[in-house]
Amino acid sequence: MLRTTLLCVVLSAFAFGKSKVSFRAAPPSQNGVPAAPIVFYERNPSGLTSDVSVIVMTGSIEDPLDKVGLSNLVAEMVLRGTQKMSREKFQSELERIGGSLSAVVSMDTIQFSGSVIKENNKKFLALLEEALLHPAFNEKDFLELKREILNDIVHVKNSNGRLGGLAARREIFKGTALEKPGFGSKSTIEKISLADVQRRYNDFFDRPKIVFAAAAPFPESEMLDAFAQIWRQFPDGSKPTKKIVNLKVPEKPVLIVVDKPKTSTGSLFFAQAGISIQDPERYTLNTGNFSFGGEPLVSRLFRIVRGELGWTYAIGSSYSALGGLSGQQGLYTISSTPSVEYTSKTIFKILEMWKSYLDEGLSSDELDLAKDSLINSYPFEFETAAKRVSHKLTSYLYNVPILTPEEFAEKIGDISNRKLKSALKEKQKANGWIIALVADKDVVAKDLEEYQKDLPKDQRLTISKVYTPDELVN
Amino acid sequence: MKIKYFLVLAICTIIQTHQVIAADYEKVAEKKLFNGEVLTEYKLPNGLKVILLPRHEAKVLTFQTWFDIGSLDEKMDAKLKKTGLAHLFEHMMFRGTDKYPDGKFDELTSRMGSDKQNATTYFYRTNYYESIPSNQLKKLLELESDRMANLKLDAALLEKEKGAVVGELRRALDNPGRIAWDELNRTVFEVAPFRYTVIGTEEEIKGFSFEEAQYFYKTFYAPNNATIIVVGDTNEEELMKWVVKYYGDMKSQEIPRYKMPEEPAQKKERRVEKTHPQATSDILLVGYRIPPVNSPDIVSLSLLSTHLSTGMEARLRKALVDSGIAVSAGCGISNVPDYLEFSVSLSEKHKAEEALEIIDREVNLVKSQTVKKDEFDRALNQELLSLYNMIEDNSSMANMLGDYLMVSGDYMRGFEIIDQFKKLKPADLKSVAKKYLNKESRSIVIVRPPSKKSSRS
Repeated sequence: MLRTTLLCVVLSAFAFGKSKVSFRAAPPSQNGVPAAPIVFYERNPSGLTSDVSVIVMTGSIEDPLDKVGLSNLVAEMVLRGTQKMSREKFQSELERIGGSLSAVVSMDTIQFSGSVIKENNKKFLALLEEALLHPAFNEKDFLELKREILNDIVHVKNSNGRLGGLAARREIFKGTALEKPGFGSKSTIEKISLADVQRRYNDFFDRPKIVFAAAAPFPESEMLDAFAQIWRQFPDGSKPTKKIVNLKVPEKPVLIVVDKPKTSTGSLFFAQAGISIQDPERYTLNTGNFSFGGEPLVSRLFRIVRGELGWTYAIGSSYSALGGLSGQQGLYTISSTPSVEYTSKTIFKILEMWKSYLDEGLSSDELDLAKDSLINSYPFEFETAAKRVSHKLTSYLYNVPILTPEEFAEKIGDISNRKLKSALKEKQKANGWIIALVADKDVVAKDLEEYQKDLPKDQRLTISKVYTPDELVN
Repeated sequence: MKIKYFLVLAICTIIQTHQVIAADYEKVAEKKLFNGEVLTEYKLPNGLKVILLPRHEAKVLTFQTWFDIGSLDEKMDAKLKKTGLAHLFEHMMFRGTDKYPDGKFDELTSRMGSDKQNATTYFYRTNYYESIPSNQLKKLLELESDRMANLKLDAALLEKEKGAVVGELRRALDNPGRIAWDELNRTVFEVAPFRYTVIGTEEEIKGFSFEEAQYFYKTFYAPNNATIIVVGDTNEEELMKWVVKYYGDMKSQEIPRYKMPEEPAQKKERRVEKTHPQATSDILLVGYRIPPVNSPDIVSLSLLSTHLSTGMEARLRKALVDSGIAVSAGCGISNVPDYLEFSVSLSEKHKAEEALEIIDREVNLVKSQTVKKDEFDRALNQELLSLYNMIEDNSSMANMLGDYLMVSGDYMRGFEIIDQFKKLKPADLKSVAKKYLNKESRSIVIVRPPSKKSSRS
């Protein structure tokens, strides 16, 4: 498993009803840097664990093009021993007290998240402080980590679903740090030195870029004081930058094949430009997508391609295939794994259904279903302290409001099919798809030829590029 | 889904048992969990069991229905004698009744705001689950009871659903790790039906008849073969009122029970090697036969597997992943089928034999040396952390209760196991390692990439 997929608890605070939420943002000091840390905290008196996140506002989008994976290496090296404790000693102590700590790097954040049984909260916070402020950056550990990450990267060749995503992002984010995933590729990881890691740490781990979030059974003052102690020891620095990159979307569907001999299914990954979290149309587009392909069992794609035609087990669409929405415009994706003999049929069926969706939007039943479901399931967004904290954190990081249930119901209730069609017309492309298909290239070519033999030439799809899995991880 | 036993800490106190509340249902037991929560078990006269754990932090709840039927039963059933129908049938349960035709169940549960709605089938059970806003409980009970009692099997829909299931099967066949696991079950068991996959073969799936599906439904989907588990924002009065209304009239029926063929004692190591066209590096699985989940030795074996594999400092990870030999390395207990499994995904330049040598070395170490106190504490506290994180989530908690009920007959078994952890000593881990981790009782499966020449032949 790739280290970047080691997800852990994401935390933050939000107030609905009786939830007690704390948000501490201190007044700015003279140089514009806050005089105290920004903390989102919810006390959960019956909780059995203390869950903590530390967010550094920088991410893989800022990695140099030839060193993608640098942010991830920095995050991992912070957890690989401190100046006082070897990696083994640090990790043994963390695990012995019933704790865990890991890092997830997104396009624009590095998030350290940890959890510990409540009896050992103080010991855990002391270890967290030691790791964040005094990482060892030991050469031997660095070489071991690089080897481990390189092994993980090569292992992605085993996952057809992920290979499709790698192929698509190479085209859409070409020439930017996002053309490769946040954990990098073989060639970029090999170029990164320990000095690069130390420099990146020194440049980005400073007070203005660090935010704390937690849910724990302890009084607010206890946790906030601990965070303030950590935060004060970081140097002053500059405010985080908001880097974004432009997407390259084709005018006509472009079919790319990742050659995997002898598969019995084809792994399909359609991608085109999506939206950012600040997009004013995001509620409308997400509501439309719910009934088009976003929700298993009830969406149009699922009902027809699986339920009526029986061509595939899995099919769905999403605005957050690269992770949650962020300040960067993401991808809109449709993915499926049809049996290999249905691959061409499924591609053309998806294109046909997409065009119909863009032209006609949803039926009134479909739109009502999406609205009812989204409104009624909204309480799950705030079900636990961890989820409430997470929403508050997202709201802060991207300057987007958190809607109360009433506001959310009003917002979703106002969406009409006319609004949806207008948003689709403005934001989505009828033909601007990169279609990555992971399957046996010979089988795909033959199947496409057979399927398209009666189609006019201008409606045919041709394979524009063939990747080997090795090329994609390199 | 492969079982991972989540082990649970609790001091559970039986407060009351077998109290008849009304003729409509019986309160069978009330149990206090270690965190102060109180869990209650009820039973209807028709045999339907209900387990309720009220939680009122948010206005939501998880609702699960567990049927004591899986692929083992169909393989042993005199009329079926094959696997795959239990799973295919699980798909058909979403395909409609007279009152709510095909698609309506999904539409209505979706409209009510259901979350994580789905179903799974395994060797010994099938479960259906959803989380909903608590004000939708009555409607959900009406829908769930309707499909349990009144499913309208449609021959045309059955054929369509076979296509989706074949797609699911083929996706699994493209996954070398999944193939390795199927092969391990076939190798560990010579006669027990664990050696047949839950999903069945493509031939079996395509060959199921409408009559077989009807027989399966009428035979196994009965109230006395089902347990409802509810965790979340409701209470006895509300829940049981609607359970009685919607499930009370269902008739219990005789459920055929089959005696599992006795698996002969394993006397020597078994080993299978094969290639897979999608494999890019070796996969190694090693299964050691262990006793059933109700054996006292399971407690020590569970902690032993945690000691070996959980966390960045686990011995297997250090020896295999940190060294660059493997991409991942794990060890866990599986019950029904019962074995302790080592699983290693090798790095491209390394061979399964290297990993096997290291597993042997680590196994010999735990057999010959008592685990150090620090390492023992590490394993115990990691178990607690895992438990605490899990039980806070309604659906994870319901899953744990349901799985233990189905596998051991006692939904509190997970809590008992963790409680017993606290009584263990490091020497207990050495003792079970010596007793069970022996070469003559293990099976080895290695799946390798094809040779370069044969990859496109």
